[in-house]
Amino acid sequence: MADILPPLKPIPIKERLSVLYIEYGHLDVLDGSFVVVDKNGVRTHIPVGGVVCLMLEPGTRVSHAACALAARVGTLLVWIGEAGVRLYSAGQPGGARADRLLYQAKLALDDELRLKVVRKMYALRFGEEPPQRRSVEQLRGIEGARVREMYKRIAGQLGVQWKARNYDVEDWDQGDVANRCLSAATACLYGVTEAAVLAAGYAPAIGFIHTGKPLSFVYDVADVYKFETVVPLAFRIAAKNPVNAEQQVRLACRDSFRETKLLERIIPGIEEMLAAGEIPRPAPFEEQVSPAIPNQESIGDAGHRT
Amino acid sequence: MLVIVLENAPPRLRGRLAVWLLEIRAGVYVGNYSVKVRDHIWSQVETGIGEGNAVMAWRTNNEAGFDFVTLGTNRRIPVEIDGAKLVSFLPESDANSQKA
Repeated sequence: MADILPPLKPIPIKERLSVLYIEYGHLDVLDGSFVVVDKNGVRTHIPVGGVVCLMLEPGTRVSHAACALAARVGTLLVWIGEAGVRLYSAGQPGGARADRLLYQAKLALDDELRLKVVRKMYALRFGEEPPQRRSVEQLRGIEGARVREMYKRIAGQLGVQWKARNYDVEDWDQGDVANRCLSAATACLYGVTEAAVLAAGYAPAIGFIHTGKPLSFVYDVADVYKFETVVPLAFRIAAKNPVNAEQQVRLACRDSFRETKLLERIIPGIEEMLAAGEIPRPAPFEEQVSPAIPNQESIGDAGHRT
Repeated sequence: MLVIVLENAPPRLRGRLAVWLLEIRAGVYVGNYSVKVRDHIWSQVETGIGEGNAVMAWRTNNEAGFDFVTLGTNRRIPVEIDGAKLVSFLPESDANSQKA
């Protein structure tokens, strides 16, 4: 009898493949690995530990063992609707590290600190310092105008018909091609961003610019990278007006994430945005009780549950 | 780039490797990971290989451009010749006597 295999641990997000979409089939665990079994009994192995997040499209069923395996290797399962309209997500509940959570909450609750973080997000996004003495509200206004301008400019350059960003989650097919491509592309970006936020130990719901959504912070972070990664490629594909536009967009997203080394940059990027608040991370209080069973060493990211 | 080949390995190890790597043929796994993750994966092979044997090769910045390690007995054994790592292939009788 051979020894029992060592317990599974997550590996760093930056070494992984960005997203995989799974459509139709039963996700299960066979001999300890993640498989998708289709209705003909064909098995496809998914290297689940080597992927940042799995997007599960309608038509998939997931076993308990599969969820447990995904959680052990720190892979986010994201349940999405057709063509990437987000429905639901799970796998790793947010806020795995109290110290990071307190740090994030402190930055978000103090108006002055929050403004610093928002200004940093603005600077990272547009590559220049935002104008002085503006409130978060005013910055949001400036940002909105700049974003509309950028959509128009990029659409113009790539020869896409562009009126405005609009989409209806209830009636997906009503949207024009450019908007549909953009929605599919941002869904990819939100998926990997959420996984990165969770892996870094922060809470997706505590946003700085966005508020009131379960993924507010994810939108904040994703917006920083949106125009350099997914927007141009969504418009480039929309300009060709292909039959299966959404799928083309996803494939292009994966290439783009690899080329821009997004996964390597995204967690350090989050740290940089929050560091703009210029406050130290909270140290544990003297009278605090440390865990009875200390955390195990892991090669995964700081907030990964093991 | 990382390649692992298993022979006569227990199914649970084969399943475990498929958590990170792609099994492109029976017992042949490929992937692309850092040194740290590679060591982590290899430690799983060391624990789980049982009666079988395994080899892992990866791309690295040496003269050959790659390096490899082996585990368990096989007719092919790594030898160092003149600073280069090569493989000797034992005749069948030798391999059997080596096993015994």
